[in-house]
Amino acid sequence: MSSNTEEIEIEKVIGQKYKEGFVTDIEVETFEPGLNEDVIARLSAIKGEPEFMLEYRLQAFRHWQTLEEPNWAQLKIEPIDYQSISYYSAPKKDSDKPQSLDEIDPQLLETYKKLGIPLDEQERLAGVAVDAVFDSVSVATTFKGKLKDVGVIFCPISEALQEYPELVKKYLGTVVSEKDNFFASLNAAVFTDGSFVYIPKGVRCPMELSTYFRINAANTGQFERTLIIADDDSHVSYLEGCTAPMRDENQLHAAVVELVAMDNAEIKYSTVQNWYPGDENGVGGIYNFVTKRAECRGANSKVSWTQVETGSAITWKYPSCILLGDNSVGEFYSVAVTNNYQQADTGTKMIHIGKNTRSTIISKGISAGKSQNTYRGLVKVAKSASNARNYTQCDSLLVGDQCAAHTFPYVEVKQPSAQVEHEATTSKISEDQLFFCQQRGISAEDAVSMIVNGFCKTVFKELPMEFAVEAQALLGLSLEGSVG
Amino acid sequence: MTTQYTAAYAKLENSLAGSSLGWLKALRLQAKEQFIEQGFPRLSDEEWRYSNLALLEKKPFNPVSESELGHIDIADLEAYKLSDCWTLVLVDGHYSASLSNLAGIPDSVIINSMAEALISHPDKVKGYLGQATETKEVGFSVFNNAWFTDGAFVYIAANTVLDKPLQILHVVTDAEILANTHHIIALETGAEASVIETFVGCEEQYATVSVTEVFVASNSGLTLYKTQLEGDKAIHLGGVYVKQARDSRFNHANFAFGSLLARTDVHIDLAQAAECDLNGLYLGAKRQHLDTHTRIEHLEPYGISKELYKGVLNDKARGVFQGRVIVAEQAQKTDSDMHNHNLLLSDNAEADTKPQLEIYADDVKCAHGITVGQLDETSIFALQARGIDKVSAKNMLTFAFANEMVNKIKFKPLHDQILMHVLNKFPQAGIDQSWL
Repeated sequence: MSSNTEEIEIEKVIGQKYKEGFVTDIEVETFEPGLNEDVIARLSAIKGEPEFMLEYRLQAFRHWQTLEEPNWAQLKIEPIDYQSISYYSAPKKDSDKPQSLDEIDPQLLETYKKLGIPLDEQERLAGVAVDAVFDSVSVATTFKGKLKDVGVIFCPISEALQEYPELVKKYLGTVVSEKDNFFASLNAAVFTDGSFVYIPKGVRCPMELSTYFRINAANTGQFERTLIIADDDSHVSYLEGCTAPMRDENQLHAAVVELVAMDNAEIKYSTVQNWYPGDENGVGGIYNFVTKRAECRGANSKVSWTQVETGSAITWKYPSCILLGDNSVGEFYSVAVTNNYQQADTGTKMIHIGKNTRSTIISKGISAGKSQNTYRGLVKVAKSASNARNYTQCDSLLVGDQCAAHTFPYVEVKQPSAQVEHEATTSKISEDQLFFCQQRGISAEDAVSMIVNGFCKTVFKELPMEFAVEAQALLGLSLEGSVG
Repeated sequence: MTTQYTAAYAKLENSLAGSSLGWLKALRLQAKEQFIEQGFPRLSDEEWRYSNLALLEKKPFNPVSESELGHIDIADLEAYKLSDCWTLVLVDGHYSASLSNLAGIPDSVIINSMAEALISHPDKVKGYLGQATETKEVGFSVFNNAWFTDGAFVYIAANTVLDKPLQILHVVTDAEILANTHHIIALETGAEASVIETFVGCEEQYATVSVTEVFVASNSGLTLYKTQLEGDKAIHLGGVYVKQARDSRFNHANFAFGSLLARTDVHIDLAQAAECDLNGLYLGAKRQHLDTHTRIEHLEPYGISKELYKGVLNDKARGVFQGRVIVAEQAQKTDSDMHNHNLLLSDNAEADTKPQLEIYADDVKCAHGITVGQLDETSIFALQARGIDKVSAKNMLTFAFANEMVNKIKFKPLHDQILMHVLNKFPQAGIDQSWL
């Protein structure tokens, strides 16, 4: 292929528009911008939270005030004024929660329909139980009844705090403490909603659980908190998707996700992150600072993170596994696509503590336009983790000559019987590969598509079916012209 | 903390190399101020997160003047001198003419102590001094620039090939001594040379700080070996900072066997189509802490960098490898390859490794691979099945793992010297030393 055609392809990539960038015009109740202890108390009161939560929040807030923003990531971040953000925005004026789908603002339903979320009658077809979080509150949870029959609790965390306060108290903050880092502390202080999942002993969750997050209101931050507990011998697959409207200013999203897997339990957590990435000149977009961590507490437990990161102006996210239980397994599969002025600094931490623990890291980074794509990971093998095993592979694909790809893996091994391997490559779609395909009658565009899809295949095959389709479509959106 | 050193060096000020030169005074003063501000690197500095230099601040290490040099057992020193070499000996940070052998050096070559070169060729030295040292990262080069006592100055004129290697032998004689040296190795267009830096010392606790600035002009090639055989309690900080011009070649082989705490920085800037090949072997035992930090910056197109570091860690030793490759926007067609392999032999040994790729160009081929592990059980079994006991089998395999790096040494006397040191670490490898 001539470099000319390639340039046209790249042009197409750069010219790509964000499809989810609509704004839903609905009545909202929003706090004045600003953050202090009163705001937190008000927020906690609105949510009708038990006493311990307010204390927890205030403790986190006081600690947060002593912290400074982390600056070690390979990111250029415009200073964030935390006092100019509103910390609460709810889609309805009355504080009563909708009881069923019928009560939900039809416009809201329309929004989700645009996003392709199977909320109402689609629920049966899709067979996915959805909890949708709109700005700061959870608006609907489908399939709740059916899940209750098998004992699975799947509800907004605000509801869980009222209905199962003991259960939440027992696990909240045990994986990501309220003092963990700058953004986790902020989240602990002001989180408004999120999903809570509890899978009881011996239960295999009958369907895939899913949450959609959407930031709609201007000038708000979204701070959601997800807590998933898989008790002994249970299994759950959880999906998460995110979108936001197109706005000129940057919006903050600081989430915390905690997973706990007990003996023989398995959690599969999949994310398709498609927050608004900003326009082609790097104006606007979501700042995505997420702390995701799983603890394999029990023996033979397994946690698998799969993520497809296509959105956000800035992504700062390291889904991690603490492999405490003997024979526990941690997995991380990631495709991160950056375009225009997007910046992504993402990766994982695998902390091996239990014996015979295993972890796999497969990371695929694709950078286009003027974007920066960084893999940052840590594999740590403690002295106690005999026979620990890790395999890491991170590959970067560069599309266009003004983007950058970085790899920063850290490996720390204190156990001689551990085996740790790390491999990384960086390359571009070579002229030879394209020529080879074209010679066999495959058009340049199809060839690029084949190569990029092949590049990501090891990660896509880990995604649940519905998401795999969405992920491929998203990749097509982000890199249209290069992907079919 | 820094006051201990500012006070100690204030006394020595007039005996430092080139103390009468105004430009050098200014350079030293600027470095001193920077050091007072920064101090030694801390664990919170990203590039130093695995190595703690607190010992340098806690213990009273002192520089010595030329008149206070300690006693040297000549016979001991002879064991480290390589045959078929020119030798430049530095004792406690000062040049020793009587122990050195620089007879018969060609006219187009300058090999001298830094102090003498600053008198005989001040302008030449001025053109190089401080031009390659690390300034972007917190390190020990400002400390070195402020107070180096002496060093070596090596200058190879255009199209000259140095037919014998030069060995720069560093010796520290007594406890609490701080030897602080600064070297310049400059090759003009088309020149070729090889230089061996050897570090040895007494069994007491002392400290070595050494910075080597290397300038490889276009089409020239330098092979630089570093053999770190310091005493068991020593602290060693060594930096090699290299500027490579177009089409130049730089080979580095770095052997870290001694010291309680050792850190080596190898930082290279590559111009168009320049090549560098970095090799290293660290063998740690007891409580040794061996840290290597390499940074290769591809600044222009067509550069090639190859890197292979291997580590064997026993007892409570800790090995650290940090390798960073940066490919600038315009450095298209870069070919870079980095590997680090670690063998952990004991339950208490630790390996930390951090290879990094920072790539701003799109048409490049960059890869890195690292491993941390133990000997392959099936290989041990295969040897046992042939009647070799387990300990010998393990020794043999470990030796073979390390020997790959030794075999890369092209200069026979050095190859044999290193091989002896490696064999001494694995006595049961069943290799008959009389073969050598």
